[in-house]
Amino acid sequence: MAETHDVLVIGAGCAGMRAAIEAFDKGANVGVVSKLHPTRSHSGAAEGGINAALGNTAEDSPETHAFDTVKGSDYLGDQDAIEIFTREAPGDIYQLEHWGAVFTRNEDGRLAQRPFGAAGSPRTVFAADITGHVLIHVLYEQLMKRVAQDASRMTVYEEYFAWRLVIEDGRCHGVISWDLLHGGLKFVGGGATILATGGAGRIYRTTTNAYACTGDGMAMALYAGLPLKDMEFMQFHPTTMYPTGILLTEGCRGEGAYLINKDGERFMARYAPNALELASRDVVSRSEQTEIDEGRGVNGSVFLDMRHLGAEKILDRLPGSRELSMVYAGIDPIYAPVPVRPGAHYHMGGVETDEWGRTELEGLYAAGENACVSVHGANRLGGNSLMETITFGRRSGQHAAEWALSQAAGADAAESHLADADRDLKTLLGRTNGERPWQIRDALGATMFENFGVFRREQQMLAAIDDVDALRERYASVIVDDKGDVFNNDLTQAIELGNAIDLAAAMLTAGVARKESRGAHSRPHDFPARDDENFMKHSIVRWQDGAPDLSYKEVRKTKWEPMERTY
Amino acid sequence: MKVGLKIWRYDSKSGDKALREYEMDAPEEATLLDCLDIVKDRQDGTLAYRKSCRMMICGSCGMRMDGGAVLACKTRMYDIAQAGHVPVISAMGNLPIVKDLVVDMDPFWAKIRAVDPYLKPGYDQAAERENVVSQKQMESIHKESLCIMCGCCVSECNSMESDPDFLGPAALAKGMRFVGDPRDGATVERLETYSEEHGLWDCTRCYFCQERCPKGVDPRDAIAKLGAEAMHNGIDRDMGAKHAKWFVTSAKTTGWLRETELVPKTQGVISSIKEMKFAMGLAVKGKVPPPFPPHVAADVHESRALFDLVKEQGRDGALGIVQGERALMHLAHDAGGTDGAYGKGGDYPVPYLPEIDKPEPKPEPKKESA
Amino acid sequence: MKEVAYYKGCLASLSAKELDISTQALAPKLGIELRELDSVTCCGAGDIHEAEPDYYLHLNARILSYAEATGCDTLMTVCNVCTLNLRQANHQLQLDETLRERVNDNLESVGVPRYSGTIDVLHFLWMAAGTHFPQLQAAAHKGLKGLKIAPFYGCQILRPSKLLGFDDPDKPESLERIIRACGGEPIDYPAKIKCCGFPIIQAREDTALAELIQPIEQAKEAGADAIVTPCPLCHLSLDAWQSKLKKQTGKDFQMPILHLSQLIGVAAGLTDSELKFKRHVVSVGPIVEKLRV
Repeated sequence: MAETHDVLVIGAGCAGMRAAIEAFDKGANVGVVSKLHPTRSHSGAAEGGINAALGNTAEDSPETHAFDTVKGSDYLGDQDAIEIFTREAPGDIYQLEHWGAVFTRNEDGRLAQRPFGAAGSPRTVFAADITGHVLIHVLYEQLMKRVAQDASRMTVYEEYFAWRLVIEDGRCHGVISWDLLHGGLKFVGGGATILATGGAGRIYRTTTNAYACTGDGMAMALYAGLPLKDMEFMQFHPTTMYPTGILLTEGCRGEGAYLINKDGERFMARYAPNALELASRDVVSRSEQTEIDEGRGVNGSVFLDMRHLGAEKILDRLPGSRELSMVYAGIDPIYAPVPVRPGAHYHMGGVETDEWGRTELEGLYAAGENACVSVHGANRLGGNSLMETITFGRRSGQHAAEWALSQAAGADAAESHLADADRDLKTLLGRTNGERPWQIRDALGATMFENFGVFRREQQMLAAIDDVDALRERYASVIVDDKGDVFNNDLTQAIELGNAIDLAAAMLTAGVARKESRGAHSRPHDFPARDDENFMKHSIVRWQDGAPDLSYKEVRKTKWEPMERTY
Repeated sequence: MKVGLKIWRYDSKSGDKALREYEMDAPEEATLLDCLDIVKDRQDGTLAYRKSCRMMICGSCGMRMDGGAVLACKTRMYDIAQAGHVPVISAMGNLPIVKDLVVDMDPFWAKIRAVDPYLKPGYDQAAERENVVSQKQMESIHKESLCIMCGCCVSECNSMESDPDFLGPAALAKGMRFVGDPRDGATVERLETYSEEHGLWDCTRCYFCQERCPKGVDPRDAIAKLGAEAMHNGIDRDMGAKHAKWFVTSAKTTGWLRETELVPKTQGVISSIKEMKFAMGLAVKGKVPPPFPPHVAADVHESRALFDLVKEQGRDGALGIVQGERALMHLAHDAGGTDGAYGKGGDYPVPYLPEIDKPEPKPEPKKESA
Repeated sequence: MKEVAYYKGCLASLSAKELDISTQALAPKLGIELRELDSVTCCGAGDIHEAEPDYYLHLNARILSYAEATGCDTLMTVCNVCTLNLRQANHQLQLDETLRERVNDNLESVGVPRYSGTIDVLHFLWMAAGTHFPQLQAAAHKGLKGLKIAPFYGCQILRPSKLLGFDDPDKPESLERIIRACGGEPIDYPAKIKCCGFPIIQAREDTALAELIQPIEQAKEAGADAIVTPCPLCHLSLDAWQSKLKKQTGKDFQMPILHLSQLIGVAAGLTDSELKFKRHVVSVGPIVEKLRV
């Protein structure tokens, strides 16, 4: 017997939970499907903060926030969406505070705000350096509160791996999932469905992302015929630790940390003389990579130096970063600089949506990192992604609830889809001769890291496309060791790998075709400049006949004309 | 490096258990989680364990190493491998096992839900702005809000082992996160609930939770704070609370604990009569000293005067514990042991970064105006 | 001779006088000269820490201050709970100057000297297994004649290790080291680092007894002749509450429980009047018999 809800949310990070809460509050019966327990979601690993123009620490306005975001996006962000985003952000922050978020305070007891990269004012609200952790827990608290209020209207399917959207008659009816704890394919229905599965950093060998960040939602949408937007824009975060790729927050630099090369030089002075370490992420990552490529790094890394901040400030404001450095780099930042380098961090691209989270398919929504609204354009500002999960999570939850409650229930279309899925699953599980997934996964990570990183070259991108095609062939004979029902994540990891390969193809296709340098997509050797005439447009990739199909779409402008971007 | 692991495999369907040994080559920076990944990828895909963030924030990978709960992603294998030790890896304790290293977390979450784990605002919230709260007040729940719900504390809780219904360290720390929050308006109601049977007075102060917590939440201290708040709010019916209060009376009257009176003061007169035979047995051995004349510490008037003085200063309830936390942060776990504040620079093993050590970057890069 | 301030705490002052008597008799043989503090009170155990935490801090500051006034650099304890309480307060006072100043002002106003933070709080176990181990080896010449001894550490001498830090909290060795030096054979069993149940033995007797039975039963199964513990509270529950286990489970363990000072004392040839075994609830007779043969 299938469970059906008015609103079905897939993924339970900040965007998913915020959407679920809003849909519940609008009267909908809500189901949440997540392959992890909600508090395990990767939103919880966000560190530095969340941007809203509260003006608590210095003069600020949504308008300034919008301009910084437009400029940061290298003018690829949709300006109408950005204006909505920055206007509604403060109210969403107050809401989180009222729910109990444990934010850090100013002397006057109001929310403290720290400077972040490329921001015209200290605008980043934070909880020491565990902001995402605080948010994920406050949202889960609110979710539990609603379960306590009315358990019949809020169901969380924990450790359900969402696999395939069920689409009939031009409408999404829900999702087929693999129940990790008990085994078996389960259909969970929804009048409206919201994709909120997060990013896909695991496509890369070195990433800040969790193992769970495999782009499931983007892949489900892609296979369902929906467009992915701006997939070539993968943000490389400037301070990921050597050798693990674990993130040290931009908040470190916000609190005053330096970037130095092996000679102890604060090299950012040569690249961004005004903003220095607090230039936007794409700029800082390129500067670091140049230092490393020109021989002024050590072990392919430069250093993040916090020593001059002093022990008290580090303990108060950056205790989590200190702990991460000590455990994973063996270095106490109070006493020594930490080796860092750019690492894959955030996908600006994703499932194309409008400002209510609506996709092209009626009844299907997307929010958070797996969506592309687009507020981030070609480069996201630090602190804007958590805010996006909240603001657009709320908006899509609201719209999905209102829409679903106004519609007649869809036909029960699950049976034939379940049978198809079951047959494909048996094929995968039944295979006994072939290759284990890990070598394919590692090869994919390596080719993307080497050929589609901070700097990109035509030949390398073309070579990576060939690599990915070859890996797809190898993947056709991948084998799953575990044939059982109970906690079979050997199976789900194999499925995730299939998704990752096709998403990589989508990214590369869009990347090769973008013959300019914009934001995170940098081609210093053949197209070093931005080309607004030909490429001031979103790339759109659809999946057709087993391959990516590329087209373009206009950027929506309101009042900001493209200007040269310096920091 | 060569790493060996012995892993307790468990199949809940058949109930079969087996200790299997695995050997692998792992990079020097490898954590226990990385090693499990190598086993699963290359040796046996049926091995089950949870993981996600691999940076000790998601709380997925709690498990036991040599009988003690750890986060697999926080546990570096270098020293263990160098020592030639082959640790035994098993599922966490005090929770039912689902498969191999995966436990059923439902009982854990049921206890979290039992403490009403969400803010109950005490007044109308300010519209279109935040509540104004001092940072100092927020810091009183800083440690509790670090909890990642990994279950390591629950795994080792000695009281829960003997009383499976005990709310336990994670749920009580979550409770303190709200009791200590100045924005919450349900303090008394919460403290009443948490003081019930199987609540905070079940804690046996074994400090396993404090030792195992990978995040420095210090759940035992959180429970002590709840006890302090309960008594501060007059919620002291429980025998545990009465026991604690009697210590205070003893210390300020005679200076020493008056054990003779501890039983009636804790359990009440009626039940202490039932204990009479047991107590008489102890009295014969001098285990219960006679009540008169009471043994009085010299200069006990000083201790009485101190009591009056600190009561006037009003650092009652949890605040009295919170005031000492800042100092103990300097001894933060993994931060250099008892060597003193912050430990020493370079105290941490850097086995896989040999080249990093040599070109020591110059300490004082020249300052430039932004 | 190492001169130390000696804080015996409530139990050794009253119900566990045998601990104080044997410690006083033994210390000189290990090269430790005890300077007894007479103007001190209870450390407050976990209870005052919970009921009146600010008062707890002041009580312990007062003890530390009087210890400092003796001119010694070490305050020796013989109880786990005192050790944790005093060390915790000591760290707080040493590391937080603002807090120390406030507490000192209060101490001064009631006539107690200010505490400047020079004291190190050490349990007798750590001295005996550490700095004074050579003297212990020399003193334990009478030997335990291969008696099988189960070490029971108790909680608050191991955890939280960041405040205690002498032994590895999961694999402590100090008691084993001493047992061997005294000619005994240490017994290994899982519950040796677990809780004896004492703190809740009155408020939650069933839970406490379910904890208490573990070390006694495991030690018995492993063939121990006796259990030794460095903590008088563990001693009290293991010794005095054993009869309740018999009533509840029907198992009569008759497991003798020794204070650490008594165990070393036997090997060092202390007299009956110094060991005071008669004060125990469970008879120590069987092991005294074994040693006599």
